[in-house]
Amino acid sequence: MPQQLPLDELTLALARIRGLLLTEEKVDRAVQRLAEGIRDAFPASSGAGASLMDEHGKRTSTGATDPVVLEADAAQYELGEGPCITAWATERSVVIHDVATDDRWPLWSQAVRELSIRSVISSPLMAGTRCLGALKIYSTQPGVYDAASARPLEKLAVPAATLLDNIQSSEAPQRFTEVLASALDSRDTINRAQGFLMHLHGLDQATALQQLVELSKSSRQSLFSISTGILAGTKRTSDDGP
Amino acid sequence: MTDHELSRPDSSMGLEQEQSRLLRKALQRSGVRHGDLWLRYFSIGGTVGEYEVDAYIQSLFSLPAGQRDLLAHAANELIDELPPLPRAPYLQDLA
Repeated sequence: MPQQLPLDELTLALARIRGLLLTEEKVDRAVQRLAEGIRDAFPASSGAGASLMDEHGKRTSTGATDPVVLEADAAQYELGEGPCITAWATERSVVIHDVATDDRWPLWSQAVRELSIRSVISSPLMAGTRCLGALKIYSTQPGVYDAASARPLEKLAVPAATLLDNIQSSEAPQRFTEVLASALDSRDTINRAQGFLMHLHGLDQATALQQLVELSKSSRQSLFSISTGILAGTKRTSDDGP
Repeated sequence: MTDHELSRPDSSMGLEQEQSRLLRKALQRSGVRHGDLWLRYFSIGGTVGEYEVDAYIQSLFSLPAGQRDLLAHAANELIDELPPLPRAPYLQDLA
């Protein structure tokens, strides 16, 4: 068996990474559709939007029914404050009766004064215990929403978050690359430890591997950490040598 | 690895069946997923693809003895890494 690397598998792994990257486009489309659906479901609303954020609250994807929502949204992320960021951070819905008189986000209120946004509800997109982002609806009239109108939006947010979680991808390729790199590093380490044992005891590869597995079994340490230990020992030995 | 090597019947087919059946059982009981098992198996030097490994777990495909043991080892490493069941505290532990 001269070829030990399962090249098919590596090809598959790389294809998967590329597939994951491609789905970012799918996420944007899904978020856009979601925004449109929400607007249609809340007839009193003038517009709606959905934003996805990463673990640090950085926006990764946005869908909106019109440019006003996009502008109001962009202002939030530029200023680092606003109803959606609060909904995301507190994992609770935020209701604004009138943007003109609400003083919770002074910079943001100031920034959107010209945008004819008066009433807003923003609800967090909770997938299990993780908050993926926020949904928002707004109206050009003040006093359109109250806590009761937040409830249907919250209800909608639950299945939406679950679905988005399954297609969300912003961090997946990064994570996948890390997994692949660590798998390859582990293989490489174990291979080198095998080579060392082969050389030291004049073993063939299968026997060397068997020895490693035996060591791992009896010490209850993983094959990887046994191999790392053996190689670290080698290094010390050669350092001590002439 | 050629098909011939992969599907060569073991001298003791019964043992292979038993080994794959008990692996399947261990995976079921521990909740270790096949994909995770394959990744660990690959990480420790496994040379057989995910599809074939999956078929072996279902006892539908034959693997060489060395690869079977490597697969068992990968499964055991993952099982050993699972969090232990929670233990009941004594009053002293809560004080």
